[in-house]
Amino acid sequence: MLITTVKRMRVTRLLNHGALGALALAFCFSASGTPANKAALDKHYDRFLAKGLSRCTTCHLPSENKNPESLEEFPHNPFGDRLRAIRKELPQAERDIPARLQRVATEDSDGDGVANEVEILLGRNPGNAEDKPDAKEREAARARTAEFAKFLASYRWQPFDAVKRPPVPRVRNERWVRNSIDQFISAEHETRKLKPRPEASKVVLLRRVYLDVIGLSPTPVEQREFLEDKSPRAYERLVDKLLNDPRYGERWGRHWMDVWRYSDWAGWSGGNQIRDSKPHIWRWRDWIVESLNNDKGYDRMVLEMLAADELAPDDTNTLRATGYLVRNYKMLSREQWLEDTIKHTSQAFMGLTVGCAKCHDHMTDPISQAEYYQMRAIFEPHQVRTDRLPGELDLLKDGLVRVYDTATNARTFFFNRGDERKPDTNRVMNPGLPQVFHASLEPESVKLPRYTAHPDHRDFVIRDTIAASEKKIADARRELEKLKTDDAPAKREEQALKLQIAEASHGALLVVLKTEKLEKDSEEWKEAAQETSAAQRKTSALEAKVKLMEAQAAKTKAQDKVDKAEKDDSEKAKKNSEKAAKELEEATKKVTEAEKALAKAEEKVKEEPSTEFKKRSTDDYPEVSTGRRLAFAQWLSNQQNPLTARVAVNHIWLRHFGRGLVSTPENFGRSGAPPSHPQLLDWLAAEFMANGWSIKHLHRLILTSATYRMASSGDAASDAIDPDNVYLWRAPTRRMEAEIVRDNLLHVAGNLDPAMGGPDIDNTKGLTSKRRSIYLRIAPEKEVEFLKIFDGPSVTECYQRRPSVMPQQALALANSELAIAQARALAKPLSAEAAADDEFVREAFRRILARPPKAQELEACVEFLEKRVPSVEKALADTKAADTSVRARENLLLVLFNHNDFVTIR
Amino acid sequence: MANRRQCCPGITRRSFLADTGMGFTGLALGAMLFRDGVARAHDSAPWQPPTGQPHFTPKAKSVIWIFLCGGVSHLESFDVKPELNKYSGKSIEETPYKDVLDPKKVEKNIVGGNPSHGNRKTIMSLQTGYKTYGQSGLVVGDWFQQVGECADDIAVVRSLWTIHNDHGAQLTWQTGRHPRELEHPTIGSWVSYGLGSLNQNLPEYVVLGVPTGDCCGGAFTHGAAYLGPEYSGVRLNVDPKKPLPFISPAGGQITHEEQVENLSLLGKLNHVAGIDYPDDKDLRARIKSYELAFQMQTSIPETLQLEKESETTRQMYGIDKTETKSFGEQCLVARRLVERGVRFVQIFHGGGGGGEWDAHSEIKSNHSKLAQQVDQPIAGLLKDLRQRGLLQDTLVVFGTEFGRSPGAEGTGRDHHPQGFCAWLAGGGIKGGIVHGATDELGFHAVEHRHYVTDIHATVLHQLGLNSRKLEIPGRKRLEIDHGEAITEILT
Repeated sequence: MLITTVKRMRVTRLLNHGALGALALAFCFSASGTPANKAALDKHYDRFLAKGLSRCTTCHLPSENKNPESLEEFPHNPFGDRLRAIRKELPQAERDIPARLQRVATEDSDGDGVANEVEILLGRNPGNAEDKPDAKEREAARARTAEFAKFLASYRWQPFDAVKRPPVPRVRNERWVRNSIDQFISAEHETRKLKPRPEASKVVLLRRVYLDVIGLSPTPVEQREFLEDKSPRAYERLVDKLLNDPRYGERWGRHWMDVWRYSDWAGWSGGNQIRDSKPHIWRWRDWIVESLNNDKGYDRMVLEMLAADELAPDDTNTLRATGYLVRNYKMLSREQWLEDTIKHTSQAFMGLTVGCAKCHDHMTDPISQAEYYQMRAIFEPHQVRTDRLPGELDLLKDGLVRVYDTATNARTFFFNRGDERKPDTNRVMNPGLPQVFHASLEPESVKLPRYTAHPDHRDFVIRDTIAASEKKIADARRELEKLKTDDAPAKREEQALKLQIAEASHGALLVVLKTEKLEKDSEEWKEAAQETSAAQRKTSALEAKVKLMEAQAAKTKAQDKVDKAEKDDSEKAKKNSEKAAKELEEATKKVTEAEKALAKAEEKVKEEPSTEFKKRSTDDYPEVSTGRRLAFAQWLSNQQNPLTARVAVNHIWLRHFGRGLVSTPENFGRSGAPPSHPQLLDWLAAEFMANGWSIKHLHRLILTSATYRMASSGDAASDAIDPDNVYLWRAPTRRMEAEIVRDNLLHVAGNLDPAMGGPDIDNTKGLTSKRRSIYLRIAPEKEVEFLKIFDGPSVTECYQRRPSVMPQQALALANSELAIAQARALAKPLSAEAAADDEFVREAFRRILARPPKAQELEACVEFLEKRVPSVEKALADTKAADTSVRARENLLLVLFNHNDFVTIR
Repeated sequence: MANRRQCCPGITRRSFLADTGMGFTGLALGAMLFRDGVARAHDSAPWQPPTGQPHFTPKAKSVIWIFLCGGVSHLESFDVKPELNKYSGKSIEETPYKDVLDPKKVEKNIVGGNPSHGNRKTIMSLQTGYKTYGQSGLVVGDWFQQVGECADDIAVVRSLWTIHNDHGAQLTWQTGRHPRELEHPTIGSWVSYGLGSLNQNLPEYVVLGVPTGDCCGGAFTHGAAYLGPEYSGVRLNVDPKKPLPFISPAGGQITHEEQVENLSLLGKLNHVAGIDYPDDKDLRARIKSYELAFQMQTSIPETLQLEKESETTRQMYGIDKTETKSFGEQCLVARRLVERGVRFVQIFHGGGGGGEWDAHSEIKSNHSKLAQQVDQPIAGLLKDLRQRGLLQDTLVVFGTEFGRSPGAEGTGRDHHPQGFCAWLAGGGIKGGIVHGATDELGFHAVEHRHYVTDIHATVLHQLGLNSRKLEIPGRKRLEIDHGEAITEILT
């Protein structure tokens, strides 16, 4: 019953909000800021406070003075007076505003015959006798007062206050309880008269926990191992084993990739135009997987993703984490890029829809528009770059993609109405945090190590550069040797020249590198510089020679064309000859130019030695970083941050139970859903932080709880009370995520490639690649169709999956190349293990569904295997492809892939 | 509590068997039977899921729900306002109609509005001409001349309003709910849930075209929310070679007969497994989805064979012309779908992102280009339905998320939720009438005001459904969710 009421209430509230919101907008707020008392009023009445009362005039007399500086200028109304006066009547400990508000609740300060609280609940001013509810409104007050009283008595969940560990409730059903989680869950069962379902069978639990933790179904060997383990701690041991399995990182990596919006690059072929995200960002994906497997603290992960470049500037492995920010790169719009960064950083880590405040103060949460731009200032200086990695100089082929602060003096302006075309240049915004958090941001600039600012001066880059230059010589020599004596002498000459160039430029490179190591303008440097200059002049002259030869060859070709055209009289040839003549003219001109260039270059070689030379082309960056992101990340990952742990814990819970304790994981604000179990959420957050933000600790706690181990089967009585299972009277039934469907098709057939990490695999290979789905490319317009059909993640935003059931999924499992190939691949080894039909069926069930068949199932399947399908017999006889009994077995396996139990986690 | 238990009994182990039968008794056991079976299990209960039968005599069997994404100007389509030409370039404040700017009126129904929209005061003249059409003398903007020719078939509702001033209103148009409330059943899913299909081989609820972008409802605009995913819309491409992925076994590696055997075994196995989880909604949906998927393998390509249509018919829809080909094909497929008993066909035009019709600038070129894409196909659809006698059973709805502002936003018009229009045709709708009105500037809906759910209510009413009877225990809907049928436009 209550659920219904709650839902209806939320809806009513929402619709009310429209009218009230509009009302509030009609007034101008004083610019003098928000007094603490007003905040306390808001907090005490929470959603029961009409917007019209969340104003100064609730306690003060209306004033003409827009910026009152003292109480004389802005006197209290009778309600405010009373609230102030009662302070003295109360003992020290009870003087806070909520206590005072409760004290004056039943009084009638303005003497209009209606109690203060009733007036407030009805949206009337308690300090203004003229603003009072009519009789009809007063009638409605009783229900509202009762509702408010209930609200006051309930656990006051305050997502903007630091987490305090609530006491674990005592419950009657002690025998059911395995750990503290269960006490919180059981307490709700008891209030709502729900009966928890019994523990799931070992078979069901085994598959559930395997799929949940590593995303792969248990093999027959693993099944036997667990089912035969009769020790009381068998399950706990299994949980530990799975959490230590590296495939855990792959499974949960994908979950966090949803939250952190993983995206491979999008754009056009060959990486010529990267529009979204960046190539090589897969290194961030690998960092996620590794971090999870190493159980790196969540706080540390947050720090590294936002500020590894300031925290560990020369640590290549850690720098990968900043892929989190790189992912937002948007070639077409820096504005959108920054907007996405702010919006999703707030949502992913704090469950706060700060993005709304880009254009206006947040409608429901305490975030002003100015505060949005303070957050923007944190990210304003950052940019994206790709550093070289050992063994590859070509950044298109590989590299470390990361962020850094460029333009460290970049200014952030306030945008009127969020319009980037209308920056208010008088309002320069400094990095800061929303006031509601009562914390300040004090960034200290970070001095970066030399090699961070000048990465191409690292030894390996120099080594690789020399090696590449040596390779050029070797290649040129090989080309020359390939040429036979009967080849045109011109060709040989040209190739010989090319070899000379390679050698000369190699010489130039070596001396240029020498200059880099020397103090500029020292004697040694001057000597090296002159050497470099001479080597470069020589190279240029050789290059000019080759250019001339090429120009001459082109001219000869053009001349041939002209000659040919002159011999022909046709109309078409006439046109051609005109074209050819023009080409010849061009070619001749080019030869002259090349001759001139060569003469000039040769002249240069003869000139006086000089210390002027072309430096090596390197990427160089600022030597300091603003430290803004580091300061922000430190605040975010601090235990005092009220939201970070709560939001993270909720994301983890959501992925174990299919529903978050807050069902809007991306929105913990007023417009989000209230938590179903506020105490449990706070307790888990406290527990999480107390254990070094260990995600595995949290998994272990959840997985070993009685709550998690319940059966998912139904119960009419509980179903009638809580049909959506919000209060977890049974384990939820979930559909496998898209990636897990695909992975398990390969896995149960024994064909899943266990290789971990590495570059993203082309999304068009989704049906043929044997790798885990996490490694397949996912980016805007670059998605695997099979995964999309099973509700794969939206690349732009996916804080939770929304599984569906559609005929397209049936078609994908019944008809796709992937499913058919895996069924056929599995039939052979399985038949080798189990020759008899009934044995085959048993083994097939075990492999694919991780359970034995029931008698009815066995019977139906054996019957199926025995039946001969004429069309198949004919088809097979024609092709001699396979035996009909083999074909039936293949089909049986395909049918099991399509079984509801295959895609379902029970 | 006893009362509640009575009104919402769990589905028992026994009833599951009764519902679904103990075997996949041939493929004729379709969705309808399945639905009937479920209903049977609740014989003794006061609340029953829909039987697939209308609650009262219907006037229509199917719906074609055309949705133009981005916000079509009502002012230059079906609610032409000559006063805009008269006051062009003036501020609304300088006209006799300055009252329309009263913030109380403007903000009355807008919830959580995006402040960067609205407040356009400088009147922009009509960006196209207009004419009167038919015996009814309906005035229609020149961008929709061919639909204008069908004036006597359509009923224009000129007094709609909605609650959001940004493109999330696209979701509102389908669900009646504010976009921030996210997923709620769409009108298509209510129809699918209430009536099911008249054809066991095709989905009940089909989606054509590119749906709204993720900003504005995404897949929710054709979802079914708590009704269950089996009632959500199935997206189809009009290309019969690839109407939807995996339509036939890869490389033709499995014969038809084999498929039948496979599905038959699968049906048996799923039913057996279901005994342990009789209340698993997803399992039931999956069983149904397999039956449907199998049928779809042949029925969908057949439905999409537009070459089977005569050249005259194809021309009617503009399939012979580049501009109209794409939308024309969708309209023709829509006709072929309703002809085959599909209940609800939702056609999106200009989908993705905020929607193509979102003409904040250059409304003239934007709307003339887009209207050209849809005008002939929609007119062709109406004429074709009429000539085949299908129009009386098929309700066609033409809608958009909101109108566009009378005031200029540069060379365009801004979002305008305070007043806009839609039209309905066929399926027991009076032709050639105009219902409701906006003020002289087309700013506010002033006469016979209707929220978008009144259109939903009208649709359900014509299909013989009472939305209150469809309500699910524990999912109480608000009065405004149900809406009220616009009886004035019914025959």
